[in-house]
Amino acid sequence: MLGVQVGGPSGTFISNQELDRKLAFEDLATGGSFIIFNSSRNILDVAHNFTHFFAHESCGFCTPCRVGTSLLKKQLDKIVEGHGSAGDIVALEELCQLVKNYSHCGLGQTAANPVLTTLERYLGLYETQLKKISFEPGFDLDGALETARRMANRYDAGAHLAQTESEHE
Amino acid sequence: MSKTITIDGKVIPFEEGQTIMEAATAAGIYIPHLCHHPEFTPHGSCKLCTVKVNGRNCSSCTFPAMDGQDVLSETEELINDRRKITQMLFVEGNHLCPGCEKTGNCQLQAVGYHLNMLDDHFPLFYPDREVDASHSDVMVDQNRCILCTLCVRASQQEDGKNVFAISGRGINKHLIFNSESGLLKDTDLEAADRAAHICPTGAILIKRTGYQVPIGERIYDHKEIDQVSLETEHLKHGE
Repeated sequence: MLGVQVGGPSGTFISNQELDRKLAFEDLATGGSFIIFNSSRNILDVAHNFTHFFAHESCGFCTPCRVGTSLLKKQLDKIVEGHGSAGDIVALEELCQLVKNYSHCGLGQTAANPVLTTLERYLGLYETQLKKISFEPGFDLDGALETARRMANRYDAGAHLAQTESEHE
Repeated sequence: MSKTITIDGKVIPFEEGQTIMEAATAAGIYIPHLCHHPEFTPHGSCKLCTVKVNGRNCSSCTFPAMDGQDVLSETEELINDRRKITQMLFVEGNHLCPGCEKTGNCQLQAVGYHLNMLDDHFPLFYPDREVDASHSDVMVDQNRCILCTLCVRASQQEDGKNVFAISGRGINKHLIFNSESGLLKDTDLEAADRAAHICPTGAILIKRTGYQVPIGERIYDHKEIDQVSLETEHLKHGE
């Protein structure tokens, strides 16, 4: 087993090392729901799915949740899709705290929990997604040129851009 | 003895029923805000005015002052986070100050300067938003709307109309006009309405009045928003 999501998307993700913890106000508070993930599941996919869910569910009343949940979605997508670099996990966590501390209601205040509770337990997993360079554009530079290549009917090496210096080597 | 709260260690008197924002303004303390205006019902949505009250974050424009409250406002943490919330408002829309008629008179821009905002920090959304120039005297550029709802409130509470509303959810939330066609020209908005003049940004502009006051002679060109805000809102809170 991979772990248990206690209390729905806004709850806490606990790893398979913490199964002796208790369902109680003092430890893991829950209205009763929990989801058990087997080892065929990927933690990042879980966090990714829940984060997209909250961005979709935000009512948009307050700035930190309306903009913050969308920014969280973008930032997590960037890392999960392999465009993250050194500073991106720090930026992700900073964003989580902002959404959590300043949102008007419980939705925003807990929308960062899937990322925060998995970051706390599986930091290494997030880090393996990062490229080993100091900065990485938030999108696929070469992919963005696809339309231009099609229009110019050019698919030779000169019509492709390397994303980073290391890819030139 | 009158009741007091402390803001950043300073003892402030307040009257029963006042919010923390009202008590602070009356005492000459500026708390950054965009969706709040002393003449209209507070909304508490922009979250710029967040302060720490007895250790908990609260919107000072909606939170009632209560005897003995310990309020923190100008802490490094709150200033940094207010800057990030301002940056969120910038990246969410299309705010291109140099090409905007409101530059120098814009509260969003002025708050950005006040909080020493030097970049956007977050990735830009570049949303596709509409401009409604159908009305003979007023135009609305949704690119600059920060969803403060001040036009909605001013229209209802002062003009006795109901021209504006907010529609949609989440990041797709947007300003709409209450007419069958959805166009501004088919509402009963008039250029003299308060709602047409209340916008803190350049989203609602009066036609044929652009650049009458040249850049360099505008409200925030010579004064920071804290000073302007206290000068103009101080009396209104006391009414």
